[in-house]
Amino acid sequence: MSEELTNQVKELIIESLRLDGYSSSDIDTEAPLFGEGLGLDSIDALQLVVGLEKNFGVVVPDAVVGGQVFQSVRTMAEYIAEKRPDY
Amino acid sequence: MSLVCFMFPGQPLACDAALPDDIDFADIAGLVKCRTGLDLKSFGRSSESNYSNQVMLQLLGSAMSLYRLRNMRKTGRQPDVVAEHSMGIYAALAACGSLPEAEVLELTWRIGNCLAGMGKNQRFAFGCVAGLTLGKLLGIADNNRVYLANHNTSRHFLLSGQLEAIESAIAEATSQKAFSTKIFPSIAPLHSPLITELEDQLQLIFSDYSYQKPHCPLMDHLEQKYLAADELAGFMLSELSRPVYWEKTFRALQFSGVESFLEIGMGDSLKKYNRWIEMEPSPGNPT
Repeated sequence: MSEELTNQVKELIIESLRLDGYSSSDIDTEAPLFGEGLGLDSIDALQLVVGLEKNFGVVVPDAVVGGQVFQSVRTMAEYIAEKRPDY
Repeated sequence: MSLVCFMFPGQPLACDAALPDDIDFADIAGLVKCRTGLDLKSFGRSSESNYSNQVMLQLLGSAMSLYRLRNMRKTGRQPDVVAEHSMGIYAALAACGSLPEAEVLELTWRIGNCLAGMGKNQRFAFGCVAGLTLGKLLGIADNNRVYLANHNTSRHFLLSGQLEAIESAIAEATSQKAFSTKIFPSIAPLHSPLITELEDQLQLIFSDYSYQKPHCPLMDHLEQKYLAADELAGFMLSELSRPVYWEKTFRALQFSGVESFLEIGMGDSLKKYNRWIEMEPSPGNPT
C-alpha cells in the first residue's frame, strides 16, 4: 500500500466530509475514524461510501463490509488496494 | 443577496456530550428549574431510556439550542431566515421573537409530558435507516405497520411506531442491505398519525401561549411556507403527527437565496444532511 494512496484517502475524507481547516497531515493513518479519532458517524460513513465509488470505483456493498473498511485510513486504503490493484 | 439561515435541530436521540459550564448555560438551567422543577445539570450520560429521561432529552435539546442562540447573538450573528426540524420548532420560536426563552422551555416540557402519557402502557421507538431509497423504505414501513417520521435526505430516514413493529422493520431494512440501522426508544410515536389520539390535549397546551409575529421569516418543514403568528399553534400540533421533510426544506431555503446555514443546537446532523443533499442534483435541476 503506497503512501500516495494513503494520502489520496485522507484527501477523500477531507473533501467528502468538508473537514474545513484539515490537511492530510492532521489525520492519523492508524487512528479510528469513528468514536474517538475523527468522531465520524453513520451519516459520514455513507458519504464515504459514495466518495469511494466516485473517486476509486470501489463499492462497499453493505454495513458489515463497511464496518471493516471504515476502521481507519489504513483499512480504507487496504480495501482500495485489494479491489483495485492498479492503485 | 446571500442570506444566513439558523437551523434548529430536533430532539437529540442521545446525550453523549458534556454540558456547558458557563453563566449562560447556568442561566438557562435556572429557567428550566423555575418553569419545570427539573435540574438540567444533573442530566448526565445516563444510558437509561426511561420516560423521564426521554422528556429530559427533549428539554435538553431546546435548552442547548437556546444556549447556542445566545452565543450567536453575542458574536453579533443574526439570522435572515430561521428553519426547524421536528421539535426544534420550540427553540426556533425564541430566535424569531415569537416566544420568550422561559416559555419555550416550559412548552417543550409540557408537550414532552403529554406525549409521555402514550408510553405508559405501550412501548414506542424510532428506527434510523441510512442507505435505502425512499421507495424501499416506504415498502418496509407498510409491511411492518410503522410510519415514515423523517425524510432527511434521499437516503437518510427515520421510522416511528410501536417498538416491536420498529424492530421488525429494522430487521427487514438490514436484510435489504441498508447501510446502517439503529433503534432508539421513544416516549411516543412522534411524527406519525398515532399521535392524533392526543390531539385535544396537545391543542390545549399550544393554545395556552401568546405567539408574537416572527421578526424574521420562519420556514416550516411540512409545506416549506413561512409561518405567521396565528399559524404557529396549528403547525406545532400538525407536525407532531406528520413526517419532517428536511430535504424539501433545505432545497426551498437554497431556492430562496440562503447560502449560509448555521446549526443552532446539539450535534451537526442537519449540516451533514445538507452536505448530502448538496451532493445530489436538485429534482428541478438534474444537471
